[in-house]
Amino acid sequence: MSEAIHIGLEPLNTIGNATARVDAVERVTGEAKYSRDFKLPGMLYAQILRSPHPHARIRSIDTSAAEALPGVRAVITGDNAPIVWGAGSVSGGRQYNDPTKDATLHRRYIFNNPVRFVGDSVAAVAAIDRHIAEQALALIKVDYEELPFVLEPEAALEPGAPQVWPDGNLCPDFRNNFEPMVSNLGDVEAGFAEADQIFEERYETSFIHNAQMEPRAAMAHWEGDKLTLYTPTQGISNCRHDTARDLGLQDHQVRIVCNYMGGGFGNKNQNQDADLVAATLSKQAAAPVMLEFSRRDDWLGVHGRWPTVQHYKIGAKNDGTVTAIQMFGYSGMGPYRKNSGGISGMDVYACPNRLRSISAVYTNRTTSGNFRAPSEPHGFYGVESMMDEVAYKLGVDPVEFALKNMRRPTDDQPFTNYSLEEVITRGAEQFDWASRRKTTPGSDEGPIKRGSGFSFMMFRAGVGTSSAIVRVDAQRQYTLFVGVTDIGPGAKTTMGMIAAEELGVPLDQVEVVAGDTDRCPYSVGESGSRTTIQTGYAVMQAAKDLNQQIADSGMPIGSDVLIASATPNPSTDGKTRQCFGAHFVEVEVDTRIGTTRIVKYTTVHESGRIINPTTARDQIRGATIQGIGQALHEDLLYDPASGQPLTTGYYRARHLTHLDIPEIDVTFIEVDDGYGPFGAKTAGEAGIILAPAAVANAISNAIGVRMTSLPISRDKILEVMA
Amino acid sequence: MGDKSKTDTSLNPKQRSRREFLENAGTTAAVATAVPVLGISAAQAQSDTQSTVSKTTIQLTVNGSRHSVDVEDRWTLVEVLRDQLDLTGTKIGCDRSECGACTVIMNGKPVYSCSQLAVWADGAQVTTVEGLASGGQLSPVQQAFVENNGPQCGFCTPGQLMTATALLSNNATPNADEVKQALVGNLCRCSNYNAIVEAVVMAGERSGGAA
Amino acid sequence: MKAFSNINVSSIDEAVSAAARARSNGQSVAFSGGGTDLLQQLKDGTDKSDVIINLRNVDGAKEISSANGTTRIGGLITLEELSNSDVGDVSYVLAQAAASVGTPQIRNVATLSGNVTQRPWCWYYRNGFNCYKAGGDECFSVTGENQQHAIYGGGPSFIVHPSDVAPALVALGASFIVAGPDGESNVSADEFFVMPSQDPAKENSLASGELLVGVSLPTPRASSVSHYHKIMDREAWTHAEVSVAAVLTMNGEIVESASIVLGGVATVPWKLTEVENYLVGRQLSADVVTMAGQMAVSSARPLAKNGHKIPMTAAAVERTLLALVNG
Repeated sequence: MSEAIHIGLEPLNTIGNATARVDAVERVTGEAKYSRDFKLPGMLYAQILRSPHPHARIRSIDTSAAEALPGVRAVITGDNAPIVWGAGSVSGGRQYNDPTKDATLHRRYIFNNPVRFVGDSVAAVAAIDRHIAEQALALIKVDYEELPFVLEPEAALEPGAPQVWPDGNLCPDFRNNFEPMVSNLGDVEAGFAEADQIFEERYETSFIHNAQMEPRAAMAHWEGDKLTLYTPTQGISNCRHDTARDLGLQDHQVRIVCNYMGGGFGNKNQNQDADLVAATLSKQAAAPVMLEFSRRDDWLGVHGRWPTVQHYKIGAKNDGTVTAIQMFGYSGMGPYRKNSGGISGMDVYACPNRLRSISAVYTNRTTSGNFRAPSEPHGFYGVESMMDEVAYKLGVDPVEFALKNMRRPTDDQPFTNYSLEEVITRGAEQFDWASRRKTTPGSDEGPIKRGSGFSFMMFRAGVGTSSAIVRVDAQRQYTLFVGVTDIGPGAKTTMGMIAAEELGVPLDQVEVVAGDTDRCPYSVGESGSRTTIQTGYAVMQAAKDLNQQIADSGMPIGSDVLIASATPNPSTDGKTRQCFGAHFVEVEVDTRIGTTRIVKYTTVHESGRIINPTTARDQIRGATIQGIGQALHEDLLYDPASGQPLTTGYYRARHLTHLDIPEIDVTFIEVDDGYGPFGAKTAGEAGIILAPAAVANAISNAIGVRMTSLPISRDKILEVMA
Repeated sequence: MGDKSKTDTSLNPKQRSRREFLENAGTTAAVATAVPVLGISAAQAQSDTQSTVSKTTIQLTVNGSRHSVDVEDRWTLVEVLRDQLDLTGTKIGCDRSECGACTVIMNGKPVYSCSQLAVWADGAQVTTVEGLASGGQLSPVQQAFVENNGPQCGFCTPGQLMTATALLSNNATPNADEVKQALVGNLCRCSNYNAIVEAVVMAGERSGGAA
Repeated sequence: MKAFSNINVSSIDEAVSAAARARSNGQSVAFSGGGTDLLQQLKDGTDKSDVIINLRNVDGAKEISSANGTTRIGGLITLEELSNSDVGDVSYVLAQAAASVGTPQIRNVATLSGNVTQRPWCWYYRNGFNCYKAGGDECFSVTGENQQHAIYGGGPSFIVHPSDVAPALVALGASFIVAGPDGESNVSADEFFVMPSQDPAKENSLASGELLVGVSLPTPRASSVSHYHKIMDREAWTHAEVSVAAVLTMNGEIVESASIVLGGVATVPWKLTEVENYLVGRQLSADVVTMAGQMAVSSARPLAKNGHKIPMTAAAVERTLLALVNG
């Protein structure tokens, strides 16, 4: 077993000790019930009919033959179920903002007309078994008028491009203005004038499906006017609120249950159209309905990371000082604005002149949305490839270049703590950067070439509100009620460990109740790396309160219980709070066949205090490997002539297997900055941010050619080596 | 070439109508009988609670218990395990032999239960994840998964465990490379591969052949 | 999945007559060995068979027997069994090719016959485009996404033959034993594999109602060595981007005869006759293997996006020969 190296803090009583998950036994025995594992008496099976066209107007739908098929119990279309899916399209991509959802210009319905991508939902059927439901779909007759389509974001903004929406293909911002997202600091033109040299390059990144192992499923069940949904979600509270709003219900009329979830990486945030479709079918059929997505349904009907094009222009002095950074970016959002379309990264540099303009663009590809660190991996790949190139062209070691140009705390903007220099220098030392990197890229003789690359980052670790309830009974059994779902990182265990630590009891004396909106208070949701910081802090405060009650009135006796709840809303006192990381990787590129093999991979992260070393280690390792897949393999190809997706599914997207995986070395520099629960920061998204940039830089160091397009597949390497 | 007579003038000339290149573009539909919108008549609802497709009776021994099950020819083994026998530990990730989540041990060997028809498994001995622990005692590889965080989201875990169990019964103390070779047919999108391999190696080392 | 009927049979004769009966009733028929890919196609709708004939319980259909200098391998042997068989010890290339297919779970059920006769994995065909392989009259890869398509033997269809086992069998000089209503026949590789210029809808000469029941291999000479080299775009669980099956007989360090067949780059297992002739009488020096690699690709004809397969193929041929030199 390879353990992470921990530097800086000693374990507390519970926190900081490698701890098995509280629900590990359920996970290894098959007892853990995922959404699709539930079954109720009389339950029907449902499926969705999807558009075969990238863009088409529906002239008419004839469902009569489907309805007549024995065993079919409900058929719904946009005609009899005109339900807006609020979280499916939000102006400006402001997914958590109710007023913006209400004001959104380009609304997404659960069934849309026109249909705007291959996979857009057209109708749904519930039947007594899944094969009959599938047969019924084939009996629905849809008369389509095909419309012109556009697949690439830059092409979509050209004059005369097919219009995805009547008002054009530039996505509106949250005020419904059709403008790019612009951030302009200092004066880039002055910065370019000051520079000795100017560098320009275009980078491109692909659509990456989140590809979580569990395809979406939702079971809906009505008791009177109360809806229960067994559904995979990364936030039971958000899911409840969104579902209630979309169906015209009060929050309390919706119960969301999700105790186990088979991964999401951002595509199970909020509610989903599947929830609304299952609920509507269930109401129509007056029976519980299990809606099941196939893998292809999931690939096309859910979402993945937006593809981008990034045009950089960098000004630098000959001594290695960056004087200006400019980036014009284009993010392909598909036809609905589910999320921001952000392209992050340049803000890790201190350069005072920075201009960033991002156009989030509608296309007729499948919808883009959040994937673990939504704006970062592709953005860091672009900007850190660019900077790596600048460093080599100026004859500067990229690590020295980073240390010279990276953002540091200032009097105007203090940090709660700052570890960026330490993660970089420690990583360089552990990795043996000085001897592994090629000072002249591509200098290895022969066809098999080694090279090393590095990348670095800081990433938000801000605090915020959430809730928790803790109870103790006369048997001294503690129960923690938290509205978290365990999507993989181990939130139930982490919350239990924080409670046990603060209560001063062993973990096995704390039962964690989670994953059910009727039993648990609000929690922020398992997105944005916020659960440990925000809900964890609420747990800590509730436990403190309970301790105080026990001190004041003693332990309860008989059937009495003591209950404490907390909904803190902490601040960082005006300081910025970040986690920090640096990745170093050595690759071996076989330039005759285009293969890239990872030889060594070193990660150093400062994510504050580590609550559970076991699960934190695997957050970094797993996220890093996902990022390697993005760097080397994954892409959703479309046929340009027909707008049909060609590479849906694990086989065609070439997801990494056991045999493709290197050992990932993990080091945590632990710090308690006095904020968050015991000083914990973000870890879940940190690992993926740096992998594409580090791997790409290592490949360029090995072969001596800058690779400007992800994934860096074999054909691309062979093309530049030809 | 396809039927070019149906040129749709609204299409960009570089782009092609789907009906030119996909089969079954106009979905065949049976002649519609008059039913109200969503109007499944009461009589119809009464009469159609069972599929009318004919069934075959098969015998399966699952986790040591014998079952006689009536199955449609098109039902896969994983459907029968999950829907008929309520053994929902076995997961469906892709339903296409692309992910490994549905792996079970059939007649001593790991197979994808999504890609075997139940009728083909007639008479087979099947072990699922529910059959690994005995007498309330986790198997060595289950125990190692608990200790070394084998599951993240846990959805691929049953499949990984089944393949690992089959490996350990043939090779009691595999090294990391042997584990990777044996488990290559089980994807983990949490990409918890390092921890899974470590856990299987650990299980072998501990039990030294008694897996 | 559409409704269909499964028919269990216990002999090849029974299978052939069941197929004939179904066809006379107007039903379409598929034979199932391991069934992995067949089920995938049935689920995706690219196979619409009404009747599945289950061959798992056919007696004697997976046996290996040797007589009169030939070895017969039953087509229902699983790839797992084949890769661990005695034949694999002698004809190592066949064991390696079988072991390179898919994953252990797939190899535990997949059969030799199924691997040789599986349909192409072209993403247009598998996504339901009405291409030549689906009975249509166009190959969409020609002007589309053709990164994975053929650089040899293309036109009018540009699929690549997906089998790993087939190039090994062709390199070993196998013939193919076909059963049908008229009994069994032995078909040479040249006759068995069908170029798209002959019939773009098919990859082999099996007629409806016929099935591949085995292969017949000449017993390799004691001085023969063989190797299968497969390049994939991940480390496992995909079809070959390019593969090379090579069988050489050696006289000391001199090549006496050579048989070199490519997979993953051509519409059929692609025999490199020119390279074979060049190697005879030569020692496998660095220069000779480099020349063999270059010669291998001299007749390749790339499409717009599969040019990378040319250097890849040259390297693969070179490395296969080097592996044989280095044992």
